[in-house]
Amino acid sequence: MMKLTGGITRSVLLASAALMIASPALAEGDPIRPITIWARTQAANPQAYQAAQLIAQAWQDLGLEVEVRGVPRTQQSDLVWYKRDEWDTTMWQMVGRPERSDPDELVYNLFHSSTAESGYNFVGYVNPEYDKVAEAQRVEMDEAKRQELVKQSQAIIAEDQPYMLLVFPTKVFAIDKTVWKPESMVEQPGLGIKNFWTFVNAEPVGEQKDMIVNSSDEMNAINPLYISGATDSWVTELIWDRLMRIGPDGLPQPWAAESYQWLDPTTIELKIRQGMKWHDGKPVTVDDVVFSFEAPATGDEAPMYKPFVEGITSIEAVDDRTVRMKLAQPNAAFLTSSLAKINLIPKHIWEPILADLVNKPENAEQYVEESRVGSGPFKYADWTLQQQVVLEANPDHWSAPKMQRWILRIIPNVEAALGMLRSGEVNFMSDYTGDPQILLDVAQEDGDLEILDSVDIGFQFLAFNLRHAPFDDPHFRRALSFAVPRELMVAAAWNGYSVPSNSIISPALPFWYNEDVLPIETGEEVAKAELAKGGYELIDGQLHYPDGVTEQHAR
Amino acid sequence: MGFFLRRLGYTVFVLWAVASILFFMFRLMPGDPRTAFIDNTFTAEQQQQLLVQFGLDKPLHVQYGVFMLNLVQGELGTSFRYKRPVLDMILEVLPNSIVLTLTSLLIAYAFGVVAGAFIAWQRGTWIEAVTIPIVLTTRAAPEFWLGMVFLAIFAFSLGWFPSGGAVTPGAQFDSTWAMMFSADFLHHLLLPAFTLALYLQGLPLLLMRSNMLEVMGDEFVTMARMKGLSEWAIVMRHAARNALLPVVTAFALGIGFSVAGNVVIETVFSWPGIGRMLVDAVAASDYPLAQGAFLLITMVLVTMNFVADLLYAVLDPRVTYGDR
Repeated sequence: MMKLTGGITRSVLLASAALMIASPALAEGDPIRPITIWARTQAANPQAYQAAQLIAQAWQDLGLEVEVRGVPRTQQSDLVWYKRDEWDTTMWQMVGRPERSDPDELVYNLFHSSTAESGYNFVGYVNPEYDKVAEAQRVEMDEAKRQELVKQSQAIIAEDQPYMLLVFPTKVFAIDKTVWKPESMVEQPGLGIKNFWTFVNAEPVGEQKDMIVNSSDEMNAINPLYISGATDSWVTELIWDRLMRIGPDGLPQPWAAESYQWLDPTTIELKIRQGMKWHDGKPVTVDDVVFSFEAPATGDEAPMYKPFVEGITSIEAVDDRTVRMKLAQPNAAFLTSSLAKINLIPKHIWEPILADLVNKPENAEQYVEESRVGSGPFKYADWTLQQQVVLEANPDHWSAPKMQRWILRIIPNVEAALGMLRSGEVNFMSDYTGDPQILLDVAQEDGDLEILDSVDIGFQFLAFNLRHAPFDDPHFRRALSFAVPRELMVAAAWNGYSVPSNSIISPALPFWYNEDVLPIETGEEVAKAELAKGGYELIDGQLHYPDGVTEQHAR
Repeated sequence: MGFFLRRLGYTVFVLWAVASILFFMFRLMPGDPRTAFIDNTFTAEQQQQLLVQFGLDKPLHVQYGVFMLNLVQGELGTSFRYKRPVLDMILEVLPNSIVLTLTSLLIAYAFGVVAGAFIAWQRGTWIEAVTIPIVLTTRAAPEFWLGMVFLAIFAFSLGWFPSGGAVTPGAQFDSTWAMMFSADFLHHLLLPAFTLALYLQGLPLLLMRSNMLEVMGDEFVTMARMKGLSEWAIVMRHAARNALLPVVTAFALGIGFSVAGNVVIETVFSWPGIGRMLVDAVAASDYPLAQGAFLLITMVLVTMNFVADLLYAVLDPRVTYGDR
């Protein structure tokens, strides 16, 4: 063969000429626009911020221009929630709550197409196959079949990667073991020891019989008809009882209801426990129970609780200890989402109040009930704004607490809270947002503290906005997601205090968790292979769209 | 009388201007009050309902009209998140802030005035050379750092003071007055008050010192020396009185600022005050609470400004206002 120009052989030239004649002349794709990863500020969530930095680095190695922007929470929420066309990727998190022990809330609301425009599916994931599975698991009353459906939903998400799921954080709690017997602490999957069961069962060791817990957030309201915040809900949970409660195993168990029975897939009958009394002494009757479910459904007095009773078409007292509810359609999560959520409120107090509010522009959320009468294991004693909430044990309750008082202190400064744990001003560290290593070091030094940690039901992730190319392409999303090893996230961003995630259901819920989705292949090579599958090209160190595709969404 | 009426007119104008600026500022800032409520089941209807509840669905000029109408009736609105009347909430935490800042102010000014006069007296000595840099350091050091250091030393290590809050956990009192006069409250007040006082004393001290140095050069001081009065009598009885006037004005203004609370001290010491409430409200776009709190602070500041003017005229007959 003759050598023509500097190493290019004649046959090569002929071959490339043939190729050029054979394929249509497609222009090379536009470079992909610079991508912004939105996040909370470093001070507010250092782990997520660090994760964002690591992710940005990995994506830059793939040829993308990436910037991490830390903004205050309200600004981030405003952008992600109300300006759904204006962002590409954001760090986000789902918080672990008792109600999320049932997968329905997350499986449905996060990815069903109906919530894409203005609801919780803010990434805009629309997949009819997923919709069918999400709808099916919601009405499937057979546990085994429902488990299959929930695992299938996780598999679909793992394939499509609308979220780049990162980790399930490990929550760390500390108690003063000279005040509380560590054996009396109850672990609840995904919530750790900070839960209803611990508060009811905690046994004091010595003279101190008051449990003092801390919170770094302010209390907004203590109102059984207003969902006013996470901290508020711990208090509401203790003052007002519910028909069922999520047990320490993560499953709903009868509580104010003694037993329940499904007469048919849409009719449930509940036997109410006898001998319950309101904190003002009057007995809890079946009429109170019926009222508690009817009140949020009528008018707009309790708009935040209304969605949880909307599925109930009728509710009546069959006799003085039995209630029968009829649902519009079967609902597998009814026990968790409704019966374990609606607070039992006294009819003799709330009926006149609600009747009065009907004609006024305000609703029940704005009503401040001075005495806050419930039927729960704790009675309301005092609430000083920005300082503390004091609850007293209710000795007449069938599951009366072993402690004398439950006191919540608002402490916005986490170092001060740590100091208070050591000095005894706080004896149950329930809201620790600092570095877990510091807490462990303090505990070792101090000797009086016991640390208990557990994997959260909540999770941290990076969300893609699927509304605009290239994020509407699964190959692109998978490439970006698999570019980063999850073990790196755990080690480098969360300092080891988390477990890797590739599912919205936590391993803390072993019945629902699909463990097959976790082992994923990650790394730069895997990402590059995925990008190649999608036709993306690396030109001059920059990643370009496939041939013929132009940038439509430059910002 | 004319002077008084004119000043009153200015005050009303300032209040109206501030109220209007606050109103538009919050509504034009990025941020949406609904984000504080985002939850799984936050449907489109609920979001719309919230807007209606907050009155934010009406056109801006209508909202402004409603706001102004309510304001002249003394109605500050209802907080978006707490769902309670703004005035009630502010009045509940305001006493805590006022007590803290007034106590700190009194300590700071009492100390600052005496120390400032003393240091002026010690002009040219090593005492002056050492104390001035120290005072400047206390003025320059960030309050939260000072607070954390004191917490670490006096609360965590020595255990002399509690680490936060205004009362012991679980303590209950019959009324706010009962709480404020209790030994428990005082015990909790001392460390934050001391920290704030340490920061505040720089101003009166340096101000007093520089005024004293000026005054010490005046003729009446020379006259007093010629009369044979002791140095102490000259400094404390004659010179200090004259040097005190600007410090009194600063004190009156300081009282005005005390209403604003001090969010840094309140956060470090978990002190329940209006500073924290205000910052929280702004962060969550809780417009009524933030506006109400800012307005109240403005009112007190403007009033104290006025009082400071009058005070000066009373204390120093050489100063007059209006036409003679």
